[in-house]
Amino acid sequence: MRLSARGLALAALLATTAIPAFAETPDDQLVVGFSMTNVLTLDPAAITGREPVQILANVYDGLVALDAKDRAKVDPDLAESWEVAPDGKSITFHLREGATFASGNPVTAADVVWSLTRLMQLNLAQASFLKTHGFTAENAAASFTAPDAKTVVVTLPKPVDPSVIVQTLGIVGPGSVLDSKLVLENEADGDLGADWLNTHSAGSGKFGFEGWKANDRVILSRNDDYWGEPSAMKRIIMRHIPESQNQRLMLEKGDIDIGFSLAGPDLKALSAEDGVEVISQPGSGFYYLAVSMKDERLANPKVREALRYLIDYQGINAAIMPYYGQEHQRPISTGFLGALPDPGYTLDVAKAKALLAEAGYPDGFEITLRALADAPFMSAATAIQATLAQAGIEAEIISGSGEQIYGAMRERDFELLVGRGGGGQLPHPDSNLRALVYNPDNSDAAKLTNFQGWRTSFYDPELNAAIDAALVETDPAKQKGMYEAIQERIAAVVPSIQPFSEVLDSVAYRADLEGFALNPSWGTDLGAITKAR
Amino acid sequence: MRLTAPLTSAGLSAIARQAGTILVTLLGLLVLTFAIGRMMPVDPVRAIVGEEADPATYQQVYEELGMDKPVYVQFATYLGDVVRGDFGTSLRTGQPVAQDILSVMPATIELATFAILFGAGIGIPLGVWAAVRKNKPTDHVVRVVTLLGHSMPIFWTGMIGLIVFYAWLGWVGGGGRVSDFYDGMVEPRTGFLLIDSALAGDWDVFRDAVNHLVLPASILGLASLAYITRMTRSFMLDQLTQEYVTTARVKGLSKTRTIWGHAFANIRVQLVTIVALAYGGLLEGAVLIETVFSWPGFGQYMTNNMLTGDMNAVMTCVLLVGVIFITLNLLSDLLYKVFDPRTR
Repeated sequence: MRLSARGLALAALLATTAIPAFAETPDDQLVVGFSMTNVLTLDPAAITGREPVQILANVYDGLVALDAKDRAKVDPDLAESWEVAPDGKSITFHLREGATFASGNPVTAADVVWSLTRLMQLNLAQASFLKTHGFTAENAAASFTAPDAKTVVVTLPKPVDPSVIVQTLGIVGPGSVLDSKLVLENEADGDLGADWLNTHSAGSGKFGFEGWKANDRVILSRNDDYWGEPSAMKRIIMRHIPESQNQRLMLEKGDIDIGFSLAGPDLKALSAEDGVEVISQPGSGFYYLAVSMKDERLANPKVREALRYLIDYQGINAAIMPYYGQEHQRPISTGFLGALPDPGYTLDVAKAKALLAEAGYPDGFEITLRALADAPFMSAATAIQATLAQAGIEAEIISGSGEQIYGAMRERDFELLVGRGGGGQLPHPDSNLRALVYNPDNSDAAKLTNFQGWRTSFYDPELNAAIDAALVETDPAKQKGMYEAIQERIAAVVPSIQPFSEVLDSVAYRADLEGFALNPSWGTDLGAITKAR
Repeated sequence: MRLTAPLTSAGLSAIARQAGTILVTLLGLLVLTFAIGRMMPVDPVRAIVGEEADPATYQQVYEELGMDKPVYVQFATYLGDVVRGDFGTSLRTGQPVAQDILSVMPATIELATFAILFGAGIGIPLGVWAAVRKNKPTDHVVRVVTLLGHSMPIFWTGMIGLIVFYAWLGWVGGGGRVSDFYDGMVEPRTGFLLIDSALAGDWDVFRDAVNHLVLPASILGLASLAYITRMTRSFMLDQLTQEYVTTARVKGLSKTRTIWGHAFANIRVQLVTIVALAYGGLLEGAVLIETVFSWPGFGQYMTNNMLTGDMNAVMTCVLLVGVIFITLNLLSDLLYKVFDPRTR
């Protein structure tokens, strides 16, 4: 058969492309890869999840910023200093001189107040941080005031540890300060700019948006009028790379500088690779086994205690959890105020069997165990299923998507569940405890689906009171003691949620990057990075 | 040669009937998609408000999205909007769905077009060749290779392709339509990178875009190549056993003229249908390749909408896919009339 003209053309086309692709990122541009399926909007008041925080941290500033290395520390950002009133009822922030938005408009106290008021009025995902402490759209005018252009006063609607509020204002989302003039110029139908902010930026940070193509890329370009030290990078290109293996190949080839959404096996392979560094550090939240105390078996504390000894903490963390989590058994994150060391629970089938017999289930029972179909949930659930079986508890695994697993939890329609959560983006023990243990109203009608305590039907008025009291305690030593006492009571009472691992944030990046400090509250400052070339 | 029906009342009623069928098909598609969407365990409200939201926030967004209205009201509202040309706003991107589709469709069209050129351009000659050399070693090799190409899961082939041609050999770009520093350099006049960069005379970008297109298009094309080769072979075998072929050879016609000029000419009609349907399939179904290669195309867009439960966007996508297939069907019917005098 003769070569057709078509065949020749095709060969020619392939020949022209057999040129090595440019396999190194530019010196002055940072290329970052992660999965952007959770990025639905770029409006700081409306974002959910960690990926939008990664993006917006480089575009918006807050009054303060959460320190990347020391979780208890809060650094000045737009506010150069602040003080708590002696009665603990208000906090006064002093804005620095000369800070401007990328638009050129000066950053004023009015912008801060407007941003916080807007947050409460829109009442979307990010409002919950402040709603928990009594702030609402109705009391916003009284809570956020600007006595002059450089001073912001936050008045607390109800007693709370002021450091919690300061930390909250350092979280990207609720704490982000928007250029009110610019946003209002682009407002439509009184939506406070929600539509426009979906795809535009109005911040004072090191970068501004050049463009956002949903599920493709976000391009940030350097704000040359930044009020502080400008970035060495003229652009940050954030690419949507949904496949972990793809991120890995591109990191190896040097086509991306940082990969944020890599899976365990790929991180393991990259850690052995020259030219790539892998960092793994505690993040926010825990992996846990949850029980529904609506089930009469699980309402029995002896049964729950038995379950505590049927988890192979060491085995799961050694074999399944590398890069995802590290062993942790208390419901307060490492490094938070008052965190006690682990109580040292281990797999102890004999003890568990004895407890089950005491509870009236010497032969175990049948039960269901829900878990997300993704790694590492399914592997952890399978491991737990195996150890439960050793004590006669036959667990049937139900796998599914977020809606099927957490949806059932919200409906209080489950028995056992392997999940992940527990606050921690706010680096304060109250964030963990409120998410995992606190439950002010155990009735079905209350529908407090944002509390895991309610979802699991765990109700302990003493713990509720202790958590509320610890939050408002002004004596630091006493407060620490209170959080320690809470952990001790939790160990005694055996609540519905037993953590076995605390979440690790694992990221891989090219070894020639300097100044990369992964922030455990997700808002990593990418503008501080330089390339040592 | 007349291609169009005469404008008699009979001709007009034929057109009207066809239009009616099309409308019913599209409506049926929408009803089915809507029903499935409401039954799926995905919650668009949850996607927007997040896991930790309290019931009050959830309820607020639920009402904002109009989900508290009865199902048939929601559907009727959607239909009413569509008739007025409003295809809704995507919950995921905050942009009008029509605009989203306009920005992702060219990427998929580029991919699918090159894939089908690859698949048909190699597949058809390969199929003819195999048929001519029936049961000889060549035929067996072709059949085994195409069976492999058809059976291997496409995301696996894609990943292997990336490892070999991108990571090891460095011959092609790794994911995305173009290298990062070329992004945004060419003005998007048509949305097709190759055309836009050629129009702008920016040959560096053109080469880079081709570099990124070649691997995903070839792998996508491999799957349709297998199918097209086997069908071509089968059709050709049908023809080659017919008497007119023997007659032509006896009369002194060269082998090439007989095969290509006569036998192949007779299967053009069937091939058109095969290739058209394969093309339609590529346009709407390249989601696995798009995921592996981070290709910002229609397949990913539609799938992500489904996974988020953004039903308005999904229905608009389904509408588009329906229109594409119907158009392709009509086109191939038309080409039938061109190629085959007997249908006129």
